[in-house]
Amino acid sequence: MLKRNLKYTLPILLPLIVLLLPADSFALDGLTLVEQRVIAIFVMATLCWVLEPIPIYATSVLIIVLELLLISDNGLWFATNSAPEQQGQLLSQTAIMATFASPIIMLFLGGFFLALAATKYRLDINLARVLLRPFGYNPKYVMLGIMLITAVFSMFMSNTATTAMMLSILTPVLALFAAEDLGKVAFALSVPVAANIGGIATPIGTPPNAVALKYLVNENSISFAEWMSIGVPFVVVMLFIAWLLLIKLFPTSTQQIDLNIEGIFLKTPKAWLVYGTFLLTILLWLMGNLHGMSSYVVAMLPVAIFSIFNIINKEDLKNIPWDVLWLVSGGIALGLALDKTGLAAHVVDAIPFNNFHPLLLIVGASMLCLLMANFMSNTATANLLLPLVATLGASMHSLLPYGGQVVLILSVTFSASLGMSLPVSTPPNALAYASGHIETKQMAKIGIIIGIIGISVAFAMLFIMNKAHFIG
Amino acid sequence: MEKINIICVDDEREVLESVSRDLDYFSDMFNIEECESAFECLALLEEFDAQQEYVALIISDHIMPEKSGVELLTEVAMDNRFLGTKKLLLTGLATQADTIEAINNAKLDNFLEKVWDPKQLLQMVKELLTEYIIEKGIDYEEYIEKLDAPTLYRLLK
Repeated sequence: MLKRNLKYTLPILLPLIVLLLPADSFALDGLTLVEQRVIAIFVMATLCWVLEPIPIYATSVLIIVLELLLISDNGLWFATNSAPEQQGQLLSQTAIMATFASPIIMLFLGGFFLALAATKYRLDINLARVLLRPFGYNPKYVMLGIMLITAVFSMFMSNTATTAMMLSILTPVLALFAAEDLGKVAFALSVPVAANIGGIATPIGTPPNAVALKYLVNENSISFAEWMSIGVPFVVVMLFIAWLLLIKLFPTSTQQIDLNIEGIFLKTPKAWLVYGTFLLTILLWLMGNLHGMSSYVVAMLPVAIFSIFNIINKEDLKNIPWDVLWLVSGGIALGLALDKTGLAAHVVDAIPFNNFHPLLLIVGASMLCLLMANFMSNTATANLLLPLVATLGASMHSLLPYGGQVVLILSVTFSASLGMSLPVSTPPNALAYASGHIETKQMAKIGIIIGIIGISVAFAMLFIMNKAHFIG
Repeated sequence: MEKINIICVDDEREVLESVSRDLDYFSDMFNIEECESAFECLALLEEFDAQQEYVALIISDHIMPEKSGVELLTEVAMDNRFLGTKKLLLTGLATQADTIEAINNAKLDNFLEKVWDPKQLLQMVKELLTEYIIEKGIDYEEYIEKLDAPTLYRLLK
């Protein structure tokens, strides 16, 4: 009972205590009132995201509203009228509200339009049917095919929707396996694993990537194509390792497996328009250098085309996962507050990070991120860690030989997507667990191994890319 | 967690108890109510509506004194407040005319004959609950262990 109440009382009490403490009780010299309020909001956000007394997207909205009330130039009267030197830097209300419509949010909106249209016009299922054909009937290779297709889809669609689709293809086949055949487990696990890994490959693959984009700006900015040139090789390597692990750990005794997917490609004018727009958008994303449009601008094209031609109608609009957009917005707003009030720099200055070995820092931050992502939402993890990690990366010159801020941000972002050892780690895991074929123990086994190998591969890859002067 | 109700209606006490027993699997996450007449069920529906509780499923017998199961379910089907509530008719003595009326007017989701196979009932209820939860936009993750996985995948993609 007490434990149940803590979930609600802690996120209210601790931030209040932080707000009411005298400014000099923090180990930070010259802490302003605004900075103190940002600490309180950060503490509240952490507790709400970890304990989940309210939905995780609601926490994001709460962050934005509290920022507007407490640290914006149009906030509550008592929050804005202290002496300037005590009060610190207030944020403009427009900047805080603009996080709901930041270019990154628009990039995701474009991705959602593409995914929605693909599902509505059965592009996804038809592609799956065609792409799976070359993989034949040998369970090993069918599984490889399923993993590749799941990963490719989750680069452009939500990981959850991809998992649901692939599992619905698999369900009738899994029912045919003998009760004690471990192959069932391997197949049921292969889908969420591939969906989680696949999301890493593109900026729109999974929400943590969006959060990372927010901090990869100016000289560190990364284009869609550049992200993919790091992400895709990583995903390919990881898929291959995951596949080997699955067939080693959960060998199947079934000789043949036949996935029977029904349907034919739609041939209506609207369907052709969907295929065309899909192709065009992806090509434009990949050729950013040629036409000069940023990936954010390109993302608005499918939004316009699908709306104009009534491919996405007003009923479909309701199916857009607005909660994901809000969840990311809250993270951006939290980062904005930490950054613009000077608090992040203030905190980073106060801790002698420069005495740490930079590699230790990269490894430590990534491991922390991986650990958190296993127990809570990947996006919330990225929202909390990335603003601090980004500031840290910018201030540490000893990081430069190892690729600087970019390497630090990317390895932490990749780690957020590698948290997949429990049914609660990600929605794809929960869906696969619901199939009833997997035990938590089995999910944990593969999840932990992939998490650790994944982090090591990410380090190795970023190290090589840095040596080749590919990034930085 | 939202309060989601399942209502069972039958004028025979033993049948009602046996349906409840078969649905025991759901009782830790869903609220299972027993009604001995259509009027009792309608009164209960009013109460749930006032409390803004979800009524996911009504399992009703057909032949009951005063008001039949088909009449009850037709009334529910016409009521805007219970749009989306799943309706299962559990009967042994339905004539063809009854069946036609039930499908046309009560917009039945499922039809099960007495004596039913408990496993079949369980599976049917699982599927109907999954459909209801997704259609109503209730957070499915909390209920995932009691839902039907294939139905869930179909509705989520």
